Amino acid sequence: MKQPFLSALLAGSLFLFLSSDPAAFAQAPPTGPYPNFTQLTNRLRTLTNRHNGLAQLQSIGKSHGGRDIWLLTVGRGNAARKPAVAVVAGVEAGHLAGTELAVQLAEKLLAASGQDSVARLLNGKMFYIFPSINPDAQEQFTARPRYERSGNGADTDDDRDGRLNEDPFEDLNRDGLITHIRIEDPTGTFVPSPDDPRVLVKADPGKGETGRYIVISEGNDNDRDGAFNEDGAGGVSLDRNFTFDYPIFIPGSGEMAVSEPENRALLDFLYKAPNVYAVFTFGPYNNLSEAPKFDRSKTTRRIITGVLEKDAPVGEQVSRLYNSQTGLKDAPAGPPAKGNFAQTAYYHYGRFSFSTPGWWVPKAATPADTAKGKKPDAKPSDNEEVKFLRWAESQNLRDVFVPWQPIDHPDFPGRKAEVGGLAPYARLNPPVSFLNDAADRHLKFLTAFARRMPVIDIVNVRTEKLSDGLTRVTAQVVNTGLLPTGSEIGDRVRFVPKMKVEMNTGTGQTVVSGRKRLLRAPMAAGESMEVSFIVSGTGRATLEAGNAMTGMKSVEITLR
Amino acid sequence: MKKIFLLLLITLPLGVWAQQKPAQNDELSGMRAVGSPANPKVPMRWNHYNDYAGITKFCQDMAKAHPDLVRIESMGKSFQGRDLWVLVVTDFKTGNPDRKPGFYIDGNIHSNELQGSEIAMYTAWYLAENFGNVAFTTELLKDKVFYITPTINPDAREDFIKNPNNANSPRSGMVPLDDDGDGEADEDKYDDLDGDGNIVLMRRKTPLGRMKQDPGDPTRMIPAKPDEAGEYELLGYEGIDNDGDGQVNEDVTGYYDPNRDWGWSWQPNYVQNGALYYPGSLPETQAIKRYIMRHPNIAGAQSYHNYGGMFLRGPGAEEDQQYYNQSDIAVYDVIGRMGEKIIPGYNYYVIYKDLYTVYGGEIDWLALGRGIFTFSNELMTSYLLFRQKPNDPNRFQNDEFNQFGKYLLFDDAYVAWKPFKHPQYGDIEIGGPKKNYVRNHPGFMLEEDAHRNMSFTLYHAHQTPKLEVQSINTRAVGNGLTEVTATIVNQRVIPTHSSHDVRYKIERPDYITLKGGTPLAGMIVENEDLNITREQRNNPATIEVPNIPGMGFVKVRWLVKGGGKYTVEVDSRKGGLAQKTQ
Repeated sequence: MKQPFLSALLAGSLFLFLSSDPAAFAQAPPTGPYPNFTQLTNRLRTLTNRHNGLAQLQSIGKSHGGRDIWLLTVGRGNAARKPAVAVVAGVEAGHLAGTELAVQLAEKLLAASGQDSVARLLNGKMFYIFPSINPDAQEQFTARPRYERSGNGADTDDDRDGRLNEDPFEDLNRDGLITHIRIEDPTGTFVPSPDDPRVLVKADPGKGETGRYIVISEGNDNDRDGAFNEDGAGGVSLDRNFTFDYPIFIPGSGEMAVSEPENRALLDFLYKAPNVYAVFTFGPYNNLSEAPKFDRSKTTRRIITGVLEKDAPVGEQVSRLYNSQTGLKDAPAGPPAKGNFAQTAYYHYGRFSFSTPGWWVPKAATPADTAKGKKPDAKPSDNEEVKFLRWAESQNLRDVFVPWQPIDHPDFPGRKAEVGGLAPYARLNPPVSFLNDAADRHLKFLTAFARRMPVIDIVNVRTEKLSDGLTRVTAQVVNTGLLPTGSEIGDRVRFVPKMKVEMNTGTGQTVVSGRKRLLRAPMAAGESMEVSFIVSGTGRATLEAGNAMTGMKSVEITLR
Repeated sequence: MKKIFLLLLITLPLGVWAQQKPAQNDELSGMRAVGSPANPKVPMRWNHYNDYAGITKFCQDMAKAHPDLVRIESMGKSFQGRDLWVLVVTDFKTGNPDRKPGFYIDGNIHSNELQGSEIAMYTAWYLAENFGNVAFTTELLKDKVFYITPTINPDAREDFIKNPNNANSPRSGMVPLDDDGDGEADEDKYDDLDGDGNIVLMRRKTPLGRMKQDPGDPTRMIPAKPDEAGEYELLGYEGIDNDGDGQVNEDVTGYYDPNRDWGWSWQPNYVQNGALYYPGSLPETQAIKRYIMRHPNIAGAQSYHNYGGMFLRGPGAEEDQQYYNQSDIAVYDVIGRMGEKIIPGYNYYVIYKDLYTVYGGEIDWLALGRGIFTFSNELMTSYLLFRQKPNDPNRFQNDEFNQFGKYLLFDDAYVAWKPFKHPQYGDIEIGGPKKNYVRNHPGFMLEEDAHRNMSFTLYHAHQTPKLEVQSINTRAVGNGLTEVTATIVNQRVIPTHSSHDVRYKIERPDYITLKGGTPLAGMIVENEDLNITREQRNNPATIEVPNIPGMGFVKVRWLVKGGGKYTVEVDSRKGGLAQKTQ
């Protein structure tokens, strides 16, 4: 049996909420089911129409299936001239919550643009918001049958046997959902969890457990190759198709890194946007609630696989900011998938890169349950599925679990087979109404982050006349922001702009001592440097410092 | 209309006559030299380098002159909009060209490495012009299909040929990039100070210098001895500080490496100098990638480079050694060692070990990303000058070239030192090797090395799989059932799947199908004598085998109800088609 990565992490649900009028979004928090592509597009259009001058919608390319990859630019004025933060979602397509959070962030940011502090922020910074990098796969949420699709619209031979899509899922119980099948069998390796018998866990011989069930995804072995549903519609999983730690020849990873139009479009935009200072990703990978630690052995080889020494404390600083601003706790550890976007954004694109699921099952709130007279849970479970089901129950969420029901399975004639299990998408994607609070918290964090971004100033400027037409200019360049002007890894990446200090001379002026243009490595928060030039000539010259990621600061100098 | 009809009447008989002319015609005044086509339909001189128009004309002429042997296709457009021409060379009248084992040849990915194009062109020309005359060539084009792309970097080739350059510029393509981080692209290129079309060296006489002129050869600058005063300093290639930033030639045409843009073990610029944003950042790479993916029959490949006289195989990076196991290496060894015999002075080498590390190289993508047995020849070596090992093992640092330039090229290869007033450096001299020397073959040597390199590549291509259903044996096993056993042989060294391919299932299995009768069971025979078989439960009529080994065989067996006249068909992506009827 193939256990798709996401099935282990995710599940889904049918939400019986009434769909709401998109025009009401700015006022009332969104509820209802996750939007399909058309609804998402309408919502983005509505937003840009309402906030003309502060929000722009553009398509950076088309998916395999011909859907636009949207970029929503939020901020005032010429985007390319301002330091920017990129917010990227829906690379891991099963994470619908990320797409919703990215859109709500934009909606909330724009709704607050009347406030002075937000207006100031939107004057000085830009937010590049990419809500859905993999729209083809995300559309499977509203398609029938619903299954957790991570592959885009490309045709891929997932089991590499020369036949295309010959073994897809089948909705055997016709409930519109692809869940699981369990078959009672002495060769099975699964047993019911002691914490919740609906949940199946691997039998642990060390605990005296022997397997009782074979567990497969819902469907038949159409091509009779012994594997179930291993090659259905659904092409390349974009979050396995980026360049860092690219996994070769695994299902969904494609034939080579960045083989798809969607991730090419994203990278083409980003690599040509020198003003992007940091990248935030909503996805299963979590490096925000707890920052990766510095490990020298991972940074001294030719191929770097660990955060660099100066970047690790920045990660910790941002992690503290995240935890304090969002007030969120107990985030799950989300290890990075090989070939994912967020790591590529750091190791190859050279920007600070942060990733969070944005929403997760909160720790069980037992007091509330006792207050209602319910029995508190016997003991906390460390099984994520059990935790999720308990939480869903406490919230009266329906349709997150399909009860096991007997079924005749053609590949297991005369055997006790049952269909059921967690509904697709459910586990990482709560009802949309739950995301309003998460979006508020993340907006608070994101704006706090943007306010800590580097600020370049030129201070203590002195001019000394050495003789007629010969002037010594000294000044200090300082980063008065609370974050470095760039990452240490970025200093190695050719496409990340260097910190620049330049004496722009006018006609008849020349720099006779000192480098006219100096390019240097990033400056830490609070770091300053002294520059000194001897300039011949008279009139006005300009000293400027900074780069696209920090913004340029310039001061006028009069030479006598 | 009438005129056209008349024209047809006049030209038609001529055309027929032309086609019926005997191959050994007497237009030669003399005798045909063995190994060369006597009276080629497309007359060519192989002692010069072609610009893009020349390559285009050659490709079109070949397709026109050999309609049953050569077709011209475009893989796509270069960054500046030039077509990337491919000549598809095969006997189009025999078999389905898309299903023959294919061989891909390209050249000139580094634009200053010109002669790969001429060698690729020579190969297409030689094959087509000798078809029907040389039996080996005739059979080769019946069995195989060649995809020959003379230049995959036509933009920068044109720049190299038409504009002032040195032997090393541009190695890049023509996409402008900011090399010095100042926000401007290609703003401080080399400058042809004396306007002679060559970018040569600048030297300045100074007691501070540590170089001196070779007393035996004025074209050559050598380091002063450790205890000896120098006379000159070298100031790099011809150029001035165009953008006034205090640096000379720091942001030239390009600059990146098209051969670091490929989808295997790709690494960013800080690990692998020359890399761009991701594998396939360039339109040329994308076009070639699509073309190769559309032709899964390609079983062998050659990408010509210069310089050094090498038959290179992967991996480019030590980390990828794990993907070359013994059985694949054994195949490379057979071909590489034959190469050392075919071209004296060329050596069979492994890139990461014997040359340098390459991440994201083209031949690694072909070999490991696609499972294609691939070589890259580094053309030209100083061994060819005096047919002996160089006196200095450093391939860029020996004086054979100066000697050769003097005694065989009569000072045609060097620009003599001459004075120049430089805006930043003052009184200097400029001189040195011309752009068409050292890396690229002197004219009179080009044809011979083209032929030798082609011969190596044809040996390689000849070794791509050739499948045959050798035997079909039947045996009655009672109950009206017949056991049918087929033996399929591969008569060449290259297997239908490299073992790396088998491990990662890059290409689908080979299909062996029985026709006639109803197969009830199908199996792979692992040991016929001991009757050890492995059953394939699904779709028994078509047995799927992961590989048909080089110079080896597979046996498959069916238990069949009915029938009597059995046909066995083999369908292999890289091995082609074969069938036999009992």
